[in-house]
Amino acid sequence: MKIRTLAWRNLWRRKRRTFITAFSIGFGVMLAVTFTGAGDYGDNNMINAGARMGWGHVTIAPRGYTQTPSLDKRLSHASEIRLAVLNLPEVSGAIVRIMGQAMFVSARKTVGGMFLAIDPSQESSEQNLFLSAIIEGEVFPNTNGRGVVIGYKMAEKLGLKLRKKLVYTTTDVHGEIVSEIARVSGIFKTGVDEVDGAMVLFPIDTIRQTLNYQSDEATIVAITIDDQRDALQQRDAIAKQIQNKSREVLSWQKTQPDLAGIIAIDRAGNVISQALVGLLIAAGIFNTLLMGVIERTKEFGVMLAIGMSPLTLFKLVLGESLFLAIVGLIVGVIITTPWYIYLHHVGIDFTGAIGDDYNAGGVLIDPIFKIKLYKESLSGILIALFSLTLFSGLYPAWRAAGVPPVESLKTA
Amino acid sequence: MPNHTIVQIEHVTKTYLQGKVEVHAVKDLTLEIPNGDFSALCGPSGSGKTTVLNMIGGLDIPTQGKVVLEGHDLSTLSRAALSTLRRDRIGFVFQAYNLIPVMTAYENAEFVLKLQGVNNREIQDRVMKILKEVGLEALAHRRPDEMSGGQQQRVAITRAIATHPAIVLADEPTANVDSQTAESLLDLMQELNEEEGVTFLFSTHDPRVMDRARRLIRLHDGQLEKDEVRD
Repeated sequence: MKIRTLAWRNLWRRKRRTFITAFSIGFGVMLAVTFTGAGDYGDNNMINAGARMGWGHVTIAPRGYTQTPSLDKRLSHASEIRLAVLNLPEVSGAIVRIMGQAMFVSARKTVGGMFLAIDPSQESSEQNLFLSAIIEGEVFPNTNGRGVVIGYKMAEKLGLKLRKKLVYTTTDVHGEIVSEIARVSGIFKTGVDEVDGAMVLFPIDTIRQTLNYQSDEATIVAITIDDQRDALQQRDAIAKQIQNKSREVLSWQKTQPDLAGIIAIDRAGNVISQALVGLLIAAGIFNTLLMGVIERTKEFGVMLAIGMSPLTLFKLVLGESLFLAIVGLIVGVIITTPWYIYLHHVGIDFTGAIGDDYNAGGVLIDPIFKIKLYKESLSGILIALFSLTLFSGLYPAWRAAGVPPVESLKTA
Repeated sequence: MPNHTIVQIEHVTKTYLQGKVEVHAVKDLTLEIPNGDFSALCGPSGSGKTTVLNMIGGLDIPTQGKVVLEGHDLSTLSRAALSTLRRDRIGFVFQAYNLIPVMTAYENAEFVLKLQGVNNREIQDRVMKILKEVGLEALAHRRPDEMSGGQQQRVAITRAIATHPAIVLADEPTANVDSQTAESLLDLMQELNEEEGVTFLFSTHDPRVMDRARRLIRLHDGQLEKDEVRD
């Protein structure tokens, strides 16, 4: 009989115990998939939502713009830059935008806020969160370039409705104060109060005129990529493509440091909680294997007495933990698959508990708890639990190999 | 069959610590076991029989003196070398059979041969031949818990002799079986000794074993009391 066959049979001597341990490993897979999947899904959504709110996953901006934003810092030949970037394989979109600050005045009130000037022909609701969040009106219809889309909170503050006028005041490229009249063509609601109460969308050509920008000037080119996880890699590729000392290429971690911080903390918390769960599972596996070894002390003594080498005995017990790991992972996949499918497609609605406007880092969080697991996360979980189980078997295996035959033969 | 010495025990003393008290399990024992012997270490409980057997099997080391098996001083061998020596040159038969419960009779019998790396065809030939000789051919695929004590001990004997060891060390092999089974096991071992030349050394206080042994090595309080060769 081969050692692996013996290890496999030994595993099933105590079927109930093996099943319980296999289920605890399986439960570990389920927990790890849930935690990691929630992290992957949540992070992905937050990063993509952040990208859709203005900056993109990667941003080309005048050097120093993100540290000290100013409307006199601008990109020239923005369209050329955009076209150059669009040729890159993983780039799904590149949009020329102007971002800045302004005072918005209605007949009732004055409010400070931000504006985002966009070219509607370049933008889609997939790339621009505000466009998908319009609750009234539409984007810049025939209003001779005077149409604007404002957040519903700002509309409330200013007492504005559709087609009402507002005046905005900002500083132009020369530092001169300029004012223009606009008309509300649409109202959006993202659910993030800080955004809904401060953001106004403008047609880019109107803002260029107001700011005295040249026809192809802008403050940023916001780039969206197929997979946000490749942001750093794409940042480097884009930087190579558009080498110019007056511009810089930044990933979302630099343009949205608050969001990056929240995600980093979330990931660290996730790692710690998973490590603790892993530790508990490892303790269970360790206990099973060690009990199995202690119970068979005499048998191991006999094996050593009749000529099995300590190394072979070590391999035998480690083989048992290997099989336990495999069985546990199979159980894990079986019990986790329906759970994953449900959470991935349906999810659990927490609207009642947290409302539908919960946000972090200025980005709206989906109140429906869903999970999505990246392939590398799944393989990471399986490898981690497999290694954990094998590792838990090391001491019992070492202990079995160290059994002194003459003493163990005396045991009952 | 050449009559050479397989085991030499030279002035061996084995002392244990039982709490703080020193217990002399074996005292200054000198002994030789020649090839083809069918001997029994006998004496009352605590006389040192099992300790001597364990030292010959390399499971225990003497406090003083040396045990030499086929020219190897066992106290100089590493743990791995001792394990190889036990695998290749010594067969063990235990009082409680000590078969591996998850293996069938056949698998238990072939276990050490597998450890030796003998090829499958040879293993099958050897094991089935011996199982046939010990009358267990039909039970080859039964597990220990499906066999009687006597049948299990026959499997243990098969396991011990299948490797063609230099010596079989049998510790109280008849202690856990009924009288009829004990006689039949002794018949079997005697036959293996006489026909195949297998060397047996028993540790026993069973009169049936002592009756069959051609040599009785009597121990008392760890010392050789009498070494009697019978015709």
